[in-house]
Amino acid sequence: MSLVIPLLVEIILAATVGTYAAACGLFLAYLSHDRFARAGTLAPRVLLVGTLLHAVHITASSFVFHVCPVEGIHFALSTASMLACAIYLTLRRRYRIDVVGAFVAPLALVFLLASSLVAMSQPDPRYRRAILPIHVAANLLGDALFMLAFAAAVAYLLQERRLKQKNLAGFFRKLPPLDALDKAGHRFLLAGFPLLTTGILTGVYWAHGVEAGTAADVARAVFGYTTWLLFAGVLLLRAGAGWRGRRAAYGTIAGFGFAVLVLIVYLVKSTPAAPPVAVAVAVAVQ
Amino acid sequence: MIVVVGLSHRTAPVEVREKLAFGADVLPEVLARLSARPELSESMFLSTCNRVEVFAAAHHDEAAGLAARAVRDVLAQQGGASADEALTPYLYEVSGRDAVRHIFRVAASLDSMVLGEPQILGQVKRAYDAASAAGTLGSILGRCMTRAFSVAKKVRTDTQVGAGTVSISSVAVDLATRIFGDLAGHTVLLLGAGEMAEAAARSLGKGAKHIRVCNRSFERAAALAGSIGGDAVQWDALGDELTRADVVVASTASREFVVTHDLVKRAMKERKGRTLLFVDIAVPRNVEPSVHTIDNVYVYNVDDLEQQVALGLKSRESEAAAAERIVLAELAEFESWRRGLLVAPAIIALRARTHEILNGELERAFASRLKHLGDADRILLKQVIEGAANKVLHAPTTRLREAASSVEGADWVRAVTHLFDLPERTEAAAAPAPSDRSHDSHDATSGDDEPPTGSRRLPH
Repeated sequence: MSLVIPLLVEIILAATVGTYAAACGLFLAYLSHDRFARAGTLAPRVLLVGTLLHAVHITASSFVFHVCPVEGIHFALSTASMLACAIYLTLRRRYRIDVVGAFVAPLALVFLLASSLVAMSQPDPRYRRAILPIHVAANLLGDALFMLAFAAAVAYLLQERRLKQKNLAGFFRKLPPLDALDKAGHRFLLAGFPLLTTGILTGVYWAHGVEAGTAADVARAVFGYTTWLLFAGVLLLRAGAGWRGRRAAYGTIAGFGFAVLVLIVYLVKSTPAAPPVAVAVAVAVQ
Repeated sequence: MIVVVGLSHRTAPVEVREKLAFGADVLPEVLARLSARPELSESMFLSTCNRVEVFAAAHHDEAAGLAARAVRDVLAQQGGASADEALTPYLYEVSGRDAVRHIFRVAASLDSMVLGEPQILGQVKRAYDAASAAGTLGSILGRCMTRAFSVAKKVRTDTQVGAGTVSISSVAVDLATRIFGDLAGHTVLLLGAGEMAEAAARSLGKGAKHIRVCNRSFERAAALAGSIGGDAVQWDALGDELTRADVVVASTASREFVVTHDLVKRAMKERKGRTLLFVDIAVPRNVEPSVHTIDNVYVYNVDDLEQQVALGLKSRESEAAAAERIVLAELAEFESWRRGLLVAPAIIALRARTHEILNGELERAFASRLKHLGDADRILLKQVIEGAANKVLHAPTTRLREAASSVEGADWVRAVTHLFDLPERTEAAAAPAPSDRSHDSHDATSGDDEPPTGSRRLPH
């Protein structure tokens, strides 16, 4: 394999990281002072460029390294953050959550960097089943939506705190309306929950078939079930007992925390990533 | 020279201001009176609830006092009998650089009662349009006003003087917006049917899906509801109304809490946690303070709202220094342009005089000693002399242009006029005569470095 293409993939990755970082900076500038009002219009556009670069990077690297994007934790992390950005960019105006990008952009950046720490390895052929892509696809789309629900919940708590403390000035004064954040968070959770359920069910079926039983697998399963229970609780209590706003936001943050723990277990379990060029050399030698 | 005469909230109480506060219908009459005064070359009349001012231009710098007197006369006439004496202690007048600075500050809302309020710019623009339509604006004042508009725009975009909420009603609307986004799909409940409730309905009720009025006297509730397009509800139904409303504006005269912690707690159960905002503008308060501790319920009383107003004003004041710097920078540019007007006629006269002498001498030579020269030689000789003259004139012309941006500009003009025996009028030609107004409107559009195209005003 030529070294030029892997190098190109690495350059696209660096460009994506740079663009996400620029979007973060623009969002921060917009929040920091009214003088930077233009940064508020520029930030989502820069994030859009970053998302497109990210999509190109995922597509290119899956072709170059012959890895299916819906198999393996590397792509799950990377694709989830890309999808979160894409969903945010599509719905930001409709849900009136423009400034939530200030939380989505750093999350996307962290997920992308975390994914680059995990090796882009092929799954063990013994574990490879038709159900695996469904399991990973459902989880990564669910994670993307939970990432957005988490961002909306954090923004909600900040806005709610300001209103309760009767302090309307300060850094977060441009946050979206409280109701918009609450509704957006609920909708993201509502959309992500069936996907999480699919991920859990396929995971149970898959794990049963491969005789999994290491400590990491158990921890992952426990954290996965806890995530499901927490999100189910948030949705049920909201519908039944009117648990909106602050309580729902705390529940969402806790649920997302456990979802992240599942990913961390994967990260701990996985081998560290080698640079794409080194992978290409290895493939060429083989 | 520009002159400003007038009074404002800083110098005159409302009883005095209202004597001179004329509506738009009187504006043409006032402008006609100003225009009829020979002391004024240009004029504009600004009348708002906080200020009444005449911006005018005198024919030349020395005539500023006469122009101000003329404006005072017109204002006194307009104010009616004995207005002159009554107004004198409150009227101020500024001229020259200070007048331009004042106009810039007024347009940029730095002289407003509520610093940074946006209405003043629209009012100044309307006054400018009226003066333009009446033909009372010329190159100096017209240019000054267009600069004032760009100063106002720059102040608004480059500083935060206009940011933040600075009135109780705007803070209440801002609060509702921060919680609900907009009130289009929401219900506003007015507790009480007095003047305060009516005022709240005008600001908060605008755009609300429903407005409901709840008052101990159902008749008064019905009357208010009728006038604002809402629905009146019985006082006993307050508990039920709290489950429907999203924003509650409390303004009853009750000496006890009308909305208690328990009442809201029950309502929130019914509402399944939907957010509820109380704007309690009553004194004594109508809403029990502990209601604010209930989840998804927010209570803002008069003190809270006033605190936000104070914060908004404080933040605007901290930005005022930056805005004043913009005003000073623009003022320097305008003054430089105005001084440029002063030297331009002298430059034109100097060049005209030089070319007139050279052409005269050449014509005489062509008629006598050089009559043997052919047409081609004559043209060549003319071009050579023309070029030499331009080279000689280049240095003094450049020096004069440079002097235009300094305060010594007038001294230089006098010196050049004296040295080259130029017509005296070049010294005072900067200010256009009233009869030149139609031409001056063209001058106002010239670039900063362009001399006025009014060589027609110069005697040759």
